[in-house]
Amino acid sequence: MFKYVLRNMWRRKARTFLTVFGIVVGIFALTVLGALSARLNQQVKGAETWFTSKISVVPGGGSLFGGSDAYLELSKVDEIEAVPGVKSAVAGFGLLLTGESTGFGAPELIVGADLAKAEDLLNLLEIDKGRILQEGDQGKVVLGSTLADKFEVGVGDTVELRGKDFEVVGIYGPTLSAPDSFAFVSYDDALDLFRAVNPYFKVDNIAATIDVIPQPGVNMEELATRIQDTVPGIKVISPAEAKKQISQFSLIFNAILLGIGFIALIVGGLSIINTMIMSVSERTQEIGLKKAIGAETGSVLSEYLLESALIGFFGGLIGMLLGVLAVYLLNNATASSQVAVFTITTTVVVGPVVFATVLGTAAGLFPALRAARLKPIDALKED
Amino acid sequence: MIKVQDITKVYNIGPIEIRAVNGLDVAIDAGEFLSIVGPSGSGKTTLLHLIGLLDAPTSGSISIDDMETGALSAKELTRLRREKIGFVFQEFNLLPVLNARENVELPLRYLKVSGEERHRRAMQALDMVGLTDRANNRPSQLSGGEQQRVAIARALVTNPVLVLADEPTGELDTYNTCKVIELMRDLNRETGQTFAIVTHDPMVADYTRRIITLRDGKVASDTAGPEAELACEDGNDDAR
Repeated sequence: MFKYVLRNMWRRKARTFLTVFGIVVGIFALTVLGALSARLNQQVKGAETWFTSKISVVPGGGSLFGGSDAYLELSKVDEIEAVPGVKSAVAGFGLLLTGESTGFGAPELIVGADLAKAEDLLNLLEIDKGRILQEGDQGKVVLGSTLADKFEVGVGDTVELRGKDFEVVGIYGPTLSAPDSFAFVSYDDALDLFRAVNPYFKVDNIAATIDVIPQPGVNMEELATRIQDTVPGIKVISPAEAKKQISQFSLIFNAILLGIGFIALIVGGLSIINTMIMSVSERTQEIGLKKAIGAETGSVLSEYLLESALIGFFGGLIGMLLGVLAVYLLNNATASSQVAVFTITTTVVVGPVVFATVLGTAAGLFPALRAARLKPIDALKED
Repeated sequence: MIKVQDITKVYNIGPIEIRAVNGLDVAIDAGEFLSIVGPSGSGKTTLLHLIGLLDAPTSGSISIDDMETGALSAKELTRLRREKIGFVFQEFNLLPVLNARENVELPLRYLKVSGEERHRRAMQALDMVGLTDRANNRPSQLSGGEQQRVAIARALVTNPVLVLADEPTGELDTYNTCKVIELMRDLNRETGQTFAIVTHDPMVADYTRRIITLRDGKVASDTAGPEAELACEDGNDDAR
C-alpha cells in the first residue's frame, strides 16, 4: 500500500511538490524559531539556577537586570545580615567587560564579590578547573566557560580585563547561561576597574547588588519578605520574583513561536485539504472500482489518510532538515564571537516532523472520509 | 443461482422520476453465458449493477445462491461482491499507477491473500488471458484489448461464481472484440463460471448462448442465442 500511495502522489508531481513545499516553508520557520527558543530557554533555565538559589538585593526601584543608577551603601550588608535566617550577605559590584554590550545573549560582565563572605555564593556554580576565589585574592580571576574559550586561556594564564592583568585561578563549567560570560574577581578589584574608567566618579563603600545566602532550611520567600520589611531603601528580589522576571523573556518568544506554528498549521493544513480533495475527486472512479471489487471503507480511508500524512511528513522532514542546516550555518557564522544563537535539541528536530505529520493526517481526514463514504455505484457513474 | 423477482429501480433527478428498472423478473443459472441487450436507457446497466450488488433495488428481491440480499448490510454486500462476483467495466477499469500484475492482484489484496500466493494466482490469471509477458507493464503501455484482458484476468483471479461485464468491448475494434469474447467463452467452457455481458453490439450478443432483451426497464424477450462460432480475423493486437 505504501508503494501504491507513493505512486499516486507521484502522478501529480507539480501539485504534490507545491503542497509539500508549502509545509516545508512553515516547518522551516518553525524549526529555526524553535532552535532560537530552545537556546533562549536554555539560558533562562541556567539563569534561573543562578538567580533563584539566592536572594538578590538591589537599590530601591531597580530590577534583576539593573534599571537604576543608584548604588547600595555597604552598611546595608550588616543590616541585612542582622535579619534572622540570613547566613551571609555578599556585596557585589559588576561592570561590563568591554565598553559595549555584545548584542544577543547575556552580556559579558566583570563581577566583583566580597571574598571574605562569598564562598557559598561562588560555590553555586560548579568549578571545572582550578579553584574558586578565596579571601585575600587580588589580581586573580575565575572565568565562566564562554569567556575562557573566548580568551583561549587556562588556569595559570594571564588575562587582560579592562587594561589590567589578572591571573586565571579557576574556570567554571558551562551552565549554558549568563554566568558563562562572567569574570569573577574580588570586590576591590572590580571597584578599582570601575574607578579607572570613571575617574570623576568618586565611589567608595558601595555595592551594586547584595547577594543573600540563606541559612539551611529557611524558606527563601519568607526570608525575602522579612529583609524587605526590615531594611529600608532596598528592593529585595526573591527567587520567585527572579523567576518571574526571567520567564517574561521567554514567554514573549514562545508566544511568537506559537503564532508561527499556528500560521503554519492553517496555511499548510488548508493546502493539504485542498490537494487531497482534488486527488479524491480526480480518482472518484478509481475509488468506485476498488469498492466494486471488494475494498472495504477502512481500506480506502487509510489509503488517503496515508497519502496526506506522507505529504505532511515529507514537508516536515525537509523543512526540519533545511531549518537545522540554516541553524548550523548561522551558528558557524557567529562562532567567532562566542555567541551561539541557536540550540538544536531533540524537541527541535522531532517536534516539527511530528507536528507536520499529525497536521497532514488531520487535514486529510475530511477528504479521506469523503472518499471512503463514496458509494461504488455513484463513484463509477461519475464522469 | 441468481433470482431476480419483480424489481424496480427509481431515480429521482430533481422533480423527475426515472424508472430505470420497472418490474423485472429474471433467473440466471450457474454456468450460463448470456448477454443483456436493449436500446439506451432500457435499464441494462442498472440491472447489471443491481445483480452485482453495487446498487439496491427500490423494490423487489434479488437472491444469490438462495441468499436474499435485501437485508444485508453494506459491509456484508462488500464481502459478497469480493468473494462471489467479478466485474469487467467498459472503461476506467485499471488503476493507472499499478502494472498489469498488480492490478490483477488487487481483489486478492482485499481478500487478504498473502503476497506470494497473490503473485502466483495473478500470474496464473494473466496466463489464462495470454498476457504473462505484459505483467510488468502499466495500463498506459497496453493496447485497449490488452487492458480489457487484464481486467478480465482481475475479474477471474478470485474464482468468482459470477462474472458481470458492462460493455466490455465498447471501446475495442472488431478484432479485439472478437478476441475478448472468445476468451470469455473459452473460460466459461473451461471453468463453468457464469458470464453476464451487457452489450450494444449485436455481434457480441450473437456469440452468447442466451440473449435477454430489455425495453423500458422490463424484459422484452428472453431467447436462446445462436452462440455463433468465433472466427477472429487477423488483426492488429495493438490497435486501440
